[in-house]
Amino acid sequence: MAQPAAIIGVGQTKHAKARAELSMTGLCREAAVRALEDAGLDWADIDAVVIGKAPDAFEGVMQPELFLADGLGAAGKPMLRVHTAGSVGGSTVLVASHLVESGIHQRVLAVAWEKQSEGNAQWGLAGGRSGGIGAGGAFAPYIRGYMQRTDAPEYIGWQVAVKDRLNAMKNPYAHLQLPDITIEKVKESPMLWDPLHFLESCPSSDGACAVVIGDEAAAKAAPRKPAWVIANAVRSEPSTFPGRDAVRPQAGVDCAHDVYRQARITNPVEEIDVAELYVPFSWYEPMWLEGHDIAGPGEGWKMVDRGDTEMGGKFPVNPSGGVLSSNPIGASGMLRMAEAANQVRGEAGEHQIGGARIALGQAYGGNAQYFSMAIFGSTLP
Amino acid sequence: MAEPEAASAIMMDHLVTLTYVEDLPPNTVRFAEGLVDGRIIGEKCPVCARVIVPPKGYCSLDMVLMDSSHELEVSDHGTVTGFTIVAPVKYYGQTKTEPFVYASVLLDGASGTLGGQEIKGLPADKVRDGMRVKAIWKAPAERTTDGQSARGWGSVSGAIDGFESSGEPDVPKDHYKDHII
Amino acid sequence: MAATDIAIVGWAQTPSVERSTRTEPQLCMEANLAAIAKAGIDRHDIGFTCAGSCDYLTGGPFAFVANLDAAGAWPPIAESHVEMDGAWALYEAWVRIQHGDIDLALVFGSGKSSPSNPLELYPQQLDPYYLEPLGLDPLSIGAIQARALLDAGKATEADFAAAAARSLRDAMSNPNAQASGDHDPADLLKADYVCAPLRAHDVAPVSDGAAAIILATADRARALTDSPVFIRGIDHRIEVHQPGMRDLTSSPSTTAAAKKAGLNGSQIDVAELCALFTSQEVILRDALGLGASTTINPSGGPLGANPVMATGLVRIIEAAQRVADGTAGRALAHVTNGQGLQHNLVCILEGDR
Repeated sequence: MAQPAAIIGVGQTKHAKARAELSMTGLCREAAVRALEDAGLDWADIDAVVIGKAPDAFEGVMQPELFLADGLGAAGKPMLRVHTAGSVGGSTVLVASHLVESGIHQRVLAVAWEKQSEGNAQWGLAGGRSGGIGAGGAFAPYIRGYMQRTDAPEYIGWQVAVKDRLNAMKNPYAHLQLPDITIEKVKESPMLWDPLHFLESCPSSDGACAVVIGDEAAAKAAPRKPAWVIANAVRSEPSTFPGRDAVRPQAGVDCAHDVYRQARITNPVEEIDVAELYVPFSWYEPMWLEGHDIAGPGEGWKMVDRGDTEMGGKFPVNPSGGVLSSNPIGASGMLRMAEAANQVRGEAGEHQIGGARIALGQAYGGNAQYFSMAIFGSTLP
Repeated sequence: MAEPEAASAIMMDHLVTLTYVEDLPPNTVRFAEGLVDGRIIGEKCPVCARVIVPPKGYCSLDMVLMDSSHELEVSDHGTVTGFTIVAPVKYYGQTKTEPFVYASVLLDGASGTLGGQEIKGLPADKVRDGMRVKAIWKAPAERTTDGQSARGWGSVSGAIDGFESSGEPDVPKDHYKDHII
Repeated sequence: MAATDIAIVGWAQTPSVERSTRTEPQLCMEANLAAIAKAGIDRHDIGFTCAGSCDYLTGGPFAFVANLDAAGAWPPIAESHVEMDGAWALYEAWVRIQHGDIDLALVFGSGKSSPSNPLELYPQQLDPYYLEPLGLDPLSIGAIQARALLDAGKATEADFAAAAARSLRDAMSNPNAQASGDHDPADLLKADYVCAPLRAHDVAPVSDGAAAIILATADRARALTDSPVFIRGIDHRIEVHQPGMRDLTSSPSTTAAAKKAGLNGSQIDVAELCALFTSQEVILRDALGLGASTTINPSGGPLGANPVMATGLVRIIEAAQRVADGTAGRALAHVTNGQGLQHNLVCILEGDR
């Protein structure tokens, strides 16, 4: 049977367009050292290291975990490298959690990162060819599909863009700090992939995130509150096939229902206190609210419109500022898990949602086809 | 020891060339040769009867391998089911400079769409879902088997230069709402 | 449930060839379908799927996504991927299946090495600041390791040639082998070096191929087959990346992983080792303490078939096959990742008790 596992330490870098003063190793270590300190542990206390990142072509190093092993205390230990496209940061946490849940290890360090300034992500996303459409170009038709299905007004995306950037002002690690952002500015920013404007899109960031996952004994010994992994699941579906619903992917629906079932949640919008969802383009907030049955069909954008997803609203989404504020691609999924965990640990600082006891972390990737989700709780069920 | 400063970092450009020489699978070879011949080939799954264009040599939904006996021709006329307008970003190798339409076209006879097609002959903001289009074929002498890859989903770009209005009336949303991509 | 109660109940590999005209997803589907059929299961009963492959080897970012087409991912499945040999996908699935909520897992690995030149590609796998700019290629690293071994007096070039001759001869009876042949070691030694002290026969070829394995919990395994192959232990360890910072003539990570996997001096009848150079076979043999009573690489090993990213699963398959058919009572499979034996996995297999 699966044993209890908890996030007992969280660390992340200050995310930025370029962390030129750090090597890739230095970037990962900044997050890892912080996670170890948060957990009250040292490198020698770690039993295994799990590293996750998005395509290696983004930095131009094939299987960089091989050289990063030296700087992440992995020598002499088991090391795994997870790669599930954009969802990888999330699935890396899950793989690390499984190592503890299975009883094989007691304390596992998971690190996810991207140093996009050292490569060219647009070139990478284009497969090295001309005419690349970027990630936004791939998702824009699905966003248009959502807008048509639900008759959502065009300002919903702008609203999410403003909310997340203002939330980021309360997150000292966030890449984008845009105190003067307004709906008007978002609407006026250049159109990149109709209907997505520049200010509705994630930045390209250098950044890393690390978490320490421990078993029950490690959680009890940890100096700060643990975030118990009370549910976790992954689901994948093929990228393209005739009749695929890419607006509301079945894999996303199934993944959500699996974690709700594990956590015995029957009314997610009521029972979950805060959610960190992977929203790299503004419209994905209402789309994931519906795509994970937090809101009914056509109701996701209304939650946004009512202000439900604001920090003071009934279902806060991305109080950290989310992917719209920091997007080191490989790390972004882990940041969602780490930020959700920090909420139930009471460690979210200025962007803490008061009284948060149940938090949802979600990451997606590829052609909106890979999903990793987890529910964190402040108490062991 | 003082923290390193971003300004003092030395950045070195290190360009690497890696060459990949791929063998195209027989299904892609037949697809590419069909294009040169003015035909668009799809394959029909013996289990679910979905017609996939370009042929991949299998149905991913039924986990069934397919071969030439499953292939058939589909029309070069179709419907735009979804699109976006992309503002090109500069990066090494990029040649596009003007915003371009990136559309999915559901060819008549196919169950899945042909993605990444340009819709030409009208301003980008006049492109709409449901629009009926036809392939803009290159002159026979100019058609090549270029643009294929053993890693990708297959391309029509060696013989077809995007799509244009076919002159038919637009198709109602119900007919293509399940085929956005 | 004890960790030892997980068994291999089905497997398949595509024949290793120098150049395949099949795409990687097509190779994966072939292997996956055959493994599922051999296990005699319904693919919808699979509770977890994990794949191993390498984008850089396949030739593009997100290249691994295409292989999902071959995983039977509709309706959606619980699935993950490692940028490593399929043997680590097997490890991840072995971990997952212990939670007790699923009883079947599919793992697969795949790679087409034919489109690229390994000497051009693998420098990219090295530390980008200190090693890659040197243009250090994998053959040279293998040669440096072989030279260190010779200089340490732990092996001779004749030992290398003997290992090569034995492997290539054994590969002759392996229908999946790409390379094979009957050679006299003395003749092999007459060839010129390709990168001193390595000769062509000392270097594993690279192959296009895919392999798949079905894992099952003990009860399910016994219901499916009379000869389930139990994974008695599996572990892996990585060492320091910088080749100048470790002793290239030994493989402490292999020793440590084997110990954790339960080796402990017990008899091993068959060992399938991922020795990509004959010199590495000597190192691994020593690291595992294997003596004359162990048959090494009866399949011919990587010298016969080396579908990179699936080659580790192939070692496990070849070992499992011999446990299942009674040739071996206890077998060991070794898999390596990185260069110069930086990262090593050991798996110990046994029939039902």
